[in-house]
Amino acid sequence: MSKVSETESFKTASLTKAPVPCAALVDAFKAKFGATLLRLDVHEKTGGLDGAVQSRDIWAEVEPEAFRPFVENLFCYDFPDFHVMSGDDTGESVTLNYHLSLFQRERNGRVGVTVTVKVPKDRLSMPSIFDLLPGSEYSEREMREMLGVDFVGLPNKALVFLPEDWDEEIKPWRRDESGPKPDMVRELS
Amino acid sequence: MSTTYTIPIGPVHVGLKEPVTAWLELDGEKIVGARVRPGAIHRGIEFMARERNPIQVIYLSERICGICSFSHVLAFIRAVEDLAGIKVPPRGQYIRTLVLELERLHSHLLWAGVACYTIGFDSAFHLGLLLRERVMDVLELLSGNRVNYGVATFGGVRWDVTPDLDRAARDMIRYYRREFTPFREIVMEDPIAQARMRDVGVLTREEAVRHSAVGPVARASGLRIDLRKSSPYEAYADIPVEPVVPQDYLGHAHGDVLDRFVVRVMEVYQTLDILEKVLDGMPEGPFVAEPNANKVLGQLKPAEGVGWGIIEAPRGDDTHIVSLKAGEDNVFWWKVRAPTYANAVSWPLMFRDNELADAPLIINSIDPCISCMERVMVTGGREGAQVLTKAALIDLCRAKTARISGGVTR
Repeated sequence: MSKVSETESFKTASLTKAPVPCAALVDAFKAKFGATLLRLDVHEKTGGLDGAVQSRDIWAEVEPEAFRPFVENLFCYDFPDFHVMSGDDTGESVTLNYHLSLFQRERNGRVGVTVTVKVPKDRLSMPSIFDLLPGSEYSEREMREMLGVDFVGLPNKALVFLPEDWDEEIKPWRRDESGPKPDMVRELS
Repeated sequence: MSTTYTIPIGPVHVGLKEPVTAWLELDGEKIVGARVRPGAIHRGIEFMARERNPIQVIYLSERICGICSFSHVLAFIRAVEDLAGIKVPPRGQYIRTLVLELERLHSHLLWAGVACYTIGFDSAFHLGLLLRERVMDVLELLSGNRVNYGVATFGGVRWDVTPDLDRAARDMIRYYRREFTPFREIVMEDPIAQARMRDVGVLTREEAVRHSAVGPVARASGLRIDLRKSSPYEAYADIPVEPVVPQDYLGHAHGDVLDRFVVRVMEVYQTLDILEKVLDGMPEGPFVAEPNANKVLGQLKPAEGVGWGIIEAPRGDDTHIVSLKAGEDNVFWWKVRAPTYANAVSWPLMFRDNELADAPLIINSIDPCISCMERVMVTGGREGAQVLTKAALIDLCRAKTARISGGVTR
């Protein structure tokens, strides 16, 4: 397993690192993050005539304080490819999932990494990862406008998908009083 | 006093196929800064899914895009299969792969044609769209539709590949192997096309990595990434795919619009090879795990969790994340990330130091999305309407190149 320092991987921004097997990554995450790693599952995806496992996704839930160190740690292995964020209103908190990939060079090498964080509703704020992964800009802006989470350090916090005259008090994906009222939803069918 | 001024391209603009606004800061004709504002066509489709069951959302997801509709369907279905643990029989996987590659073929042919149109090479545009008709016919033979095929479902597909379709697809492969190269050469060897696309809208290799560019845009910047290789799904598990990068053909990746053209046209040849392997290797057996949609809904009702479906669509990786809740009929939540969502972040970088006149070409270089089709016809001639043949279009393309080169033969 070849590792480079965090700074070198970030500086070079290349996808040239040798893949690390998913099981070794899981062990390394558990060893490094201990109790701040709340949950860790692996989903296997099969395909082809013999139904062999073709790729694996790691689903990790971390404490909010451990989120940024967790993402920074991924740079030890490879420059993570940022896909998107998903999220949902989960009662007392807003749950955010960051979907990333490592090792896209080799055949069957890719490991998907989803990092889940529950952000409590009494302080809906997360450190932005825009400085590490500028590809996250639209996702952070989208989660801000749709779910009302603030991202500290995100330079452009303007609306991205909602119209200019949108009432920003209303967060379309929230399931509580901040969400859209039934009279705002036009039923088409 | 400021020496720059700002103008908007879009949201509705004659050079754009889809509504998006690019606020360009100009110094004379040179673009010195750019801000992109999407949002003119957000339909809240993810919100709508919360009132529909998973089978209904298959057809909703098909309507996200008119070009890569099957990619969205499959990414959604694979996300649900991931969370519910549904397996697909091999024949179902091969038919899915067949449709994915047919879709890539028509998407790349359309893009190549539209790129010619954007630089004013209209005869090549019509030739590109004429070529595209053949793959549309094969898709229509399979599904009855030209755009939204309604082919995939949970655990497999809804339509089988018949001997008729197999024959039509093989005829189509032979047709493209014969007819596509003249189109590619006409455009690649045209000095004006070269001049309009070379060094325009550059995204360097390092920027492509850092900004998470995907698909042909990332590959044109020299990145050897392709999900069909790094995490093979469906029949790609049996059929190796190597990413198409410009350095393998031209010795060097510029990361410009011409390289995006090269990647897409070379991927057309790759797609023909994959299609042939899919048809040759098509296994016998069932093509769907459970054909009864009501039984499938019954199987999905106790499913709980979050699933991730990710596939290499014609424009790059298409990611869907789906959550189902046990006991609920409807999709709990759904997140769609089309390839353009990822590549749009790189637009401001591509605009730097380019000419204003190239702005629509740069915008179109990552994402053309036009689902309507034009028939090739010239009207108003002395004899009335006249249909141009492929040979006539090739002659027109060559005549145009010769005219602009001042009659210099190559």
